[in-house]
Amino acid sequence: MLAAIPAAAWMLAFFFVPLLIFAVYSFLTTRLYDVETPFTLQAYRDALSDPINRTLAWNSIVVGVLTASICVGAGLPIAYWLRFVADRSRLAVLFLITASMFASYLVRIYAWRTMLGKNGIINEALRAIGVIDEPLNFILYNRFAVVIALVHIFLPYVVLVLYAGMNPVSPSLLEAGQDLGASSSLLWRRVLLPIMAAPSFNAFVFVFVLSASDYVTPQFLGGTSGATIGVRVQTSFITLGNWPLAAATSFLMLASFGLLHLVGSALLRRMHLHDIRLAS
Amino acid sequence: MVSRQRSPFATAVVIASLLFLFVPLLVVVLFSFHSVGALTLPFRGFSLRWYREIWKSDEFRTSLVNSAVVAAATGAVTMVLGTLAAYALSATRSRLRAPLALLLFLPLTLPGLFVGLSLLVMFGRAGVSLSLWTVAGAHLVYVMPYYLLIAVATLQRLDVALEEAAADLGATRWVVFTKVTLPQVWPVLMGATFLAFALSFDEFVITFFVIGPESTLPLYIFSSLRRTVDPSINAISTLLLAITLALFALSFALTTRGGRDQALAVPVEGGRREQQ
Amino acid sequence: MNNNDDAVPGSPRVEAIAVQRRFGDVTALSEVSLTVAPGEFVTLLGPSGCGKTTLLRIIAGFDQPTAGSLRLNGRDVTKVPAHRRPVNMVFQRPALFPHLDVASNVAFGPRIAGIGKAELRTRVDDALAMVRLDGFQRRRAHELSGGQMQRVALARAIVNRPEVLLLDEPLSALDLRIRLEMEEELRRLHRELGATFVYVTHDQREALALSDRIAVFSGGRIEQIGTPDEVYNRPATPFVARLVGDANVIAVDAAPGESNSSVIRLGDVSVLVNGKVRGPAWLVVRPENVQLGLPGVAEALIGTIVDVSFRGTGFAYRVDIAGLPHPLKSEVPGGPPLAVGERVSVAWLPSAVCLLERDDQHHAGKIGLNQQ
Repeated sequence: MLAAIPAAAWMLAFFFVPLLIFAVYSFLTTRLYDVETPFTLQAYRDALSDPINRTLAWNSIVVGVLTASICVGAGLPIAYWLRFVADRSRLAVLFLITASMFASYLVRIYAWRTMLGKNGIINEALRAIGVIDEPLNFILYNRFAVVIALVHIFLPYVVLVLYAGMNPVSPSLLEAGQDLGASSSLLWRRVLLPIMAAPSFNAFVFVFVLSASDYVTPQFLGGTSGATIGVRVQTSFITLGNWPLAAATSFLMLASFGLLHLVGSALLRRMHLHDIRLAS
Repeated sequence: MVSRQRSPFATAVVIASLLFLFVPLLVVVLFSFHSVGALTLPFRGFSLRWYREIWKSDEFRTSLVNSAVVAAATGAVTMVLGTLAAYALSATRSRLRAPLALLLFLPLTLPGLFVGLSLLVMFGRAGVSLSLWTVAGAHLVYVMPYYLLIAVATLQRLDVALEEAAADLGATRWVVFTKVTLPQVWPVLMGATFLAFALSFDEFVITFFVIGPESTLPLYIFSSLRRTVDPSINAISTLLLAITLALFALSFALTTRGGRDQALAVPVEGGRREQQ
Repeated sequence: MNNNDDAVPGSPRVEAIAVQRRFGDVTALSEVSLTVAPGEFVTLLGPSGCGKTTLLRIIAGFDQPTAGSLRLNGRDVTKVPAHRRPVNMVFQRPALFPHLDVASNVAFGPRIAGIGKAELRTRVDDALAMVRLDGFQRRRAHELSGGQMQRVALARAIVNRPEVLLLDEPLSALDLRIRLEMEEELRRLHRELGATFVYVTHDQREALALSDRIAVFSGGRIEQIGTPDEVYNRPATPFVARLVGDANVIAVDAAPGESNSSVIRLGDVSVLVNGKVRGPAWLVVRPENVQLGLPGVAEALIGTIVDVSFRGTGFAYRVDIAGLPHPLKSEVPGGPPLAVGERVSVAWLPSAVCLLERDDQHHAGKIGLNQQ
């Protein structure tokens, strides 16, 4: 038990204490690149009243929801394939997907900027087969590009989480469903999705939170419509030096993430889907 | 023999996703060997010129070294502190176990933006100047939960009977740990440490806030991206990809191979406490 | 799922025609044919890996034969997917849906078939009552014992009123006591429902107790199909003889005797047995038919007891006989027991044995089971 003290101490010092201080800062008054008392709620008021924040918040939500939905939407069939369809290729595909998780974050962003650009592969390919004459301008520097890059970043993780959730499901369960008359879509609706509801929700929230807080992808791929609140927080901190504002915005974001999680968990509990115990 | 389900739809999604995941990366790698500066087809021949160019840059070399140093430091400290903490988490039956686990795993749930910002604030308040040390300290917070996930799971699968037998034969707790437990789990722990290296090497989001005047490789890429499009970024990117993928492959080999050398527990009875 | 409008009247419920299933180099089923009449209880019996479960899964629709066809009610269903066949299956492990309670589990099939809410509730309650689980509607799978889970699985299958109920070793995971209770329940269900049952098991005692007919499987082939009495008392092959009732199977040479009998030599003694086989043969005699007595009768088979074990209803002996490669198995009801080392005379009624033709090459590989 004592063995854990060094690690715990480190976490306290480098994670919890900073957060605490940061939280306190959100209630202080700003003074260029520094703070001072008196304590006030001004920072929160500024954060909530700023109309740009509202647009950015909306953008973040849209980006987050789209990214998370695509990740989970594609992740479920892939996990299903790995668990129930794959035969000899399962290990190879698992390895590939896990390996792709380790491709560098920045490199992915750069890769998509190249792919979606005016002279990028996608435009070149479309031009080569004659679908278009002029390069498509709209596929870069907007929400669409940000979502694509974020999906590229989070999909492998979601697949692994969903696969872990699907692994304990026995094939007999699916066969029982088929035996009782369920077609493919009914099997999903009545058996697989209810069982996977909790892991899917957790994966969804995880991706949503990280996508909405991302401040790098929007800077390179987002243009104006793809800017998120994460970028705002970063800039208000670095460029404007308004630390209470950055802190207040951050905690408002965190509060909304927490709310989302609570509401979702409550819903799951209501539907009795939050704690499904699978027999061996 | 259980027959597998059939689903052309799922198979299509899998193929499409694998293409989606790998084609962009392969494009970057491909063009890092391009003999001309264009990032478009047709491909005009292989060349290592971009690699030679980046190697000439002092900035690049120092940031590469910095990343390695930080990753090594992070990995080493994580391994030591993390192994101790994992041991505590897997063996203890105290009521403090749940809050301890919470304390150690919570950083997983917080996006790097907030971790980085709050650390910057604290360092500023405490008058600590930003440097590679602050980066390493921050990386530890980020990496530790991942290390713990693997280490705790591995320790829990051990058969307690071996340790009890050793104790019965007169071994102290320290001896039991070094002569019985560690020999069984060290491959997996090494694998987890390589994972820690890889995570630290590629870390950007937190590093951006807590770094001083120096640069790490991801930071170098970031500032290159901000400048004009320079084909040598492909080379740097490919290098970074190669390094992290190599670390991952090592990690994978160690954690899967090492897992087989363990005396695995009889579930529930033989192993340590099952935990959520 | 239950209306088989295009069923051919008068046809057997289930008909497997020359069904073959290969997995790469391994042949799980070679040219198996089987006919099941409406209302019959047919058991597929055999050791693990013999192909019985494969055939069951082909009937259910979870597997496709590599050759041959399958008919249900006269209609070819070989290509019909599982969810559209008028059969229901009870799996080896209950496979209850963990996110639904017992009632919703049982209601799963009818709900898909579109049965209205009111009738649904009645059907579910009836099905649960039939398996004696009245009142368990709101429980969840993890709150039930193994036997209870299997009964829910049964209810979930029979609530659809299937014409054919398939059961894949449903009792193998249960304790002996519960297994015996469930056997009784299965017999009762079969009587009350009147449905056709196709049952898979490796437990020959179960097969004998439950079935109208038994199909004995070995290595992907059916060795014999017959009533329990036929399979037990008139086994067609040594494999069947050993599997069902663990008979003594001895390689002998049969010489002609009078009318319907043959003479065989066991050690130094000549014995008369019923049966007109000539040449190489298998002598099949069940342990309960092997009578042990006092030595002293001339020209009788003499043996030495090498093992005694108490069986509750009597004693089981192994008797070494000069000239025979393995000890003979004998079961004697009541007591008192004979001692190891005692010399006894061994005899049986000529009508209590079976003589089968022996073809050494063909059966050499099959005498893997119960080497004495």
